Amino acid sequence: MDMIVPLNALKPGEKGIVVNILGGAGARQRLVAMGLTPGATIQVIKSYPFGPIILSVSGTRFAIGRGLASKVMVRKL
Amino acid sequence: MMKVVALAGNPNVGKTTIFNNLTGMRQHVGNWPGVTVEKKEGILEYKGEKFLVVDLPGTYSLTAHSVDELVARNFLLKGSANVVVDVVDATVLMRNLFLTMEIFEMGLKNIIIALNKIDLTEKKGIEIDVRKMESVLGVPVVPLNAKEGIGIEELKKRIYEVANRKIGTTPIMPKYDPAVEREIEHISRALKRTELAEKYNLRWLAIKLLMRDEEVIKLVLRYLGSEKLNEIMGHIGEVEEKYKRAMDLIIASQKYEFIDSLMHRFVRYKHEQGETFSDQLDRILTHPIYGILVLLGVFYFVFKFVFLFGMPLQGMLDEAFSSFGQWLAPHILNESLRGLVVDGIIAGVGAVLSFFPLVFLLFLAMAILEDVGYMARAAVVMEKIMRKFGLPGKSFIPLVLAFGCNVPAVMATRTLDEEKDRIVTMLVNPLIPCSARLSVISFLAGAFFKKNQAFVAVSIYIISIFLALLMACFFSRFLVKGESSPFIIELPEYLVPSWKTVILHSWERSKEFVKKAGTIILAGSIVIWYLSNYPVPIGTGLSYSEKLGMFFEPYMKLMGLDWKAAVSLLFGIIAKENVISTYGIIYGSESAIVNAMTPLQAYVLALVTTLYIPCIATIGAIRAESNSKWALVVVTYMIGLASFVGIVAYHLGLVLGF
Repeated sequence: MDMIVPLNALKPGEKGIVVNILGGAGARQRLVAMGLTPGATIQVIKSYPFGPIILSVSGTRFAIGRGLASKVMVRKL
Repeated sequence: MMKVVALAGNPNVGKTTIFNNLTGMRQHVGNWPGVTVEKKEGILEYKGEKFLVVDLPGTYSLTAHSVDELVARNFLLKGSANVVVDVVDATVLMRNLFLTMEIFEMGLKNIIIALNKIDLTEKKGIEIDVRKMESVLGVPVVPLNAKEGIGIEELKKRIYEVANRKIGTTPIMPKYDPAVEREIEHISRALKRTELAEKYNLRWLAIKLLMRDEEVIKLVLRYLGSEKLNEIMGHIGEVEEKYKRAMDLIIASQKYEFIDSLMHRFVRYKHEQGETFSDQLDRILTHPIYGILVLLGVFYFVFKFVFLFGMPLQGMLDEAFSSFGQWLAPHILNESLRGLVVDGIIAGVGAVLSFFPLVFLLFLAMAILEDVGYMARAAVVMEKIMRKFGLPGKSFIPLVLAFGCNVPAVMATRTLDEEKDRIVTMLVNPLIPCSARLSVISFLAGAFFKKNQAFVAVSIYIISIFLALLMACFFSRFLVKGESSPFIIELPEYLVPSWKTVILHSWERSKEFVKKAGTIILAGSIVIWYLSNYPVPIGTGLSYSEKLGMFFEPYMKLMGLDWKAAVSLLFGIIAKENVISTYGIIYGSESAIVNAMTPLQAYVLALVTTLYIPCIATIGAIRAESNSKWALVVVTYMIGLASFVGIVAYHLGLVLGF
C-alpha cells in the first residue's frame, strides 16, 4: 500500500498525487476548480512552519493554509 | 437591440486587458444589481455593428458557493449573451479548460475561446496546435497576446462572425464513467417531463444536482417533489460508496481526465520548468517575517507617492475652486442665489474634485501592485493575522488604504473573493482614521497637549484600529451571514504591468467615484450651506445649524461636550476637516478653541470625530458598493460606538483627574 498522507505532511520538493479531499463542499469545490482534484500531481515548493504552504499544481503556484492543506489527502510519490 | 458579448474566464488570465482592448474608452463600471460584485460594460464597434461587451466576474468554476460565481452563472444561464468569449490562459490550459467545460455543459452554443498569453508558451515549453484545438473543442480559438494588442482584430472578427451566425460552433461535451452517466441519464429523464426542460439544459441540471448544488436542489425540489429528490439522492450515495469519495469530486476528477484526454490531441509539453524567477522572489515576499517587512515597506512607499503628488494637486484644485468662487461672487446680484452657488455648489463640487487626485493615485498604486502580481503575496502574508479577526488576508489592503481615504478603500473591497468578507471589511473600514481625520487629530493634539502631542495622536489611532478589528470579529461572527473564503490563493507570475490597462482601470474607477460620491457630496454641501445661512448666518447663535446643535446639547453633555461640538460634528459629516473650521467660524478664530475647552474635552472631541458617522462620501461609497441597508448599519453603529466610547472616555478621564 502506498503512503497516503495529508498534504501538509509533504516536505519542500516532495511530490504527491491527490487522492481525496475532505471537508465542506464549499472549500472542496474551490480547491477542485483551482486544479487540486483527485488525480492531479502536486509539488510542495515551500512550507513555512507556522505559515502557508506554497504549491505547484500543473505549472501554477498556490499558497494554501495549513488547515485546508490537512484536508487534501495525497499519495506520496 | 445591441447584441451582447460576455467575457468569462479565470482570475489572472488578462480578461480586463482584453475587455479594454475591445471597448477602448467606451466603458462603464458599476455593480451587479443587489450584490457587491463589480460589473463592467463597454461598447465594441466592428464593421459598423455595435456590441455590448459585459465583463463577467473572474471565477474558477460556476458553483453556487460564491456570489461572483452565481453572478457569472446566472448571466450565462439566462442566455443573456449572444456570444460568450471564454478567456483562457495558454500557460495553464488544464485548469482554465475546467471552466470552459462548465460553460460548454450549460448547453451554450456561441462560444469563442480567446487563448491569451500565447507569447509565454514557448518559454514554458508548451506547444499548442491551435487549428487542432479548434476542431477538438468544436469552437473557434483565437490566440492572443492581449498586452501587446496582438490577436485583438482577429477576436473582433470572430465575435462578429459568430454573433451573425457566419460560423457555427459545436462545443464538445465532457463524458463521464458509465456509473455517472447512468445517473445523469436517470435524472434528465425525470426532469424531461417538467417545465425545467424548456428553461434549462437538462444535462447541466443533472450534473449540478449530482454535485448537490444548492440552487439546483431548490429548483428540482420545486418541480419534482421531495420523494423523487430523495430517491435521486439515494442513488448518488450508492455511486459515492463505490468510488469512496464525494460525488462532486468524482465528477470533477473525471472532468479533468476528460480534459487531459482532449489536451493530448493538441498540446505538447517539451520540458518541465524548474524554479522560476517568481519562485525566488516568493522566497522573500511570502515569508512570514520578511514578507511582512516588505509589505510595510511597499505601503510606506505607496502613501509617500500618493501624498507627495496627491496633496499638492488637491491643494491646487481647492485653491482654484475658491478663487473661481470669489471671482464669480460679485457677478451674482441676488444674495441668496450667490450664497447657494458660491458656498453651496462651487464649494461642493470643489470638495468632490479636490479628492480626485488622491483617489486616482491610490487606485493607480493599487492597480500597479495588482497587475505586477504583488497583491496576492500581500494577502498571503497577512492571512494569519487578519484571520484572527474573522477576515481574510486580502482585506488588509482596503483597510490600509483607509488611512489615506476611506472612499477608494471602500471601493477596493471589491477585490475580496467572498461577499461576506466584502461587507465586513466595508463596515469596519470607516473606523480607520483617514487623512482628513488625521488633520483634526493632530490639530487638537497640538493645541491641547503640547508635551504629549505624539502620544495623544497615536493613542487615538490605536483605539480606532483596535475598535475596527474588534468590530470585524463581531460582524463576521454575528451580523453578516455567508461563507468566508477558504485560504487558497493563486500566486500569478510576476509580470511587468500593462500600463494601458492600469491607467484606464484607475481612471474608470476614479470617474466612478466622482459620479457616485459626487452627487451625494454636492447635495450634502447644499444642505449644510442652507442650515448655516438660514434664517440668519452662522455665528449669531440663531441659524438652523446652531439650533440643531443646541437641541443635541443634553446628549453631548454626557460626553462633556456642548452644542458647538454638535454643530462642528454635523459639518464634519461633509468632510471631517470641517470639524475644526466650524469651531473657527463659531468662535471667530481657530486658535480661540484652546481657551474654550479642557484637554479632556479636546481628547474626547478628537476621539468622537474619528469614530462617529463617516463622511458623506464614504457613506455614498458604501451604499454604492453594497446597498442602503449596510450604509444605514454603518451610520447607526458608528453613532452608537462613538457615543459609548466618548462617554466612557470622558468619565474615565474625570475619575483619573484630568
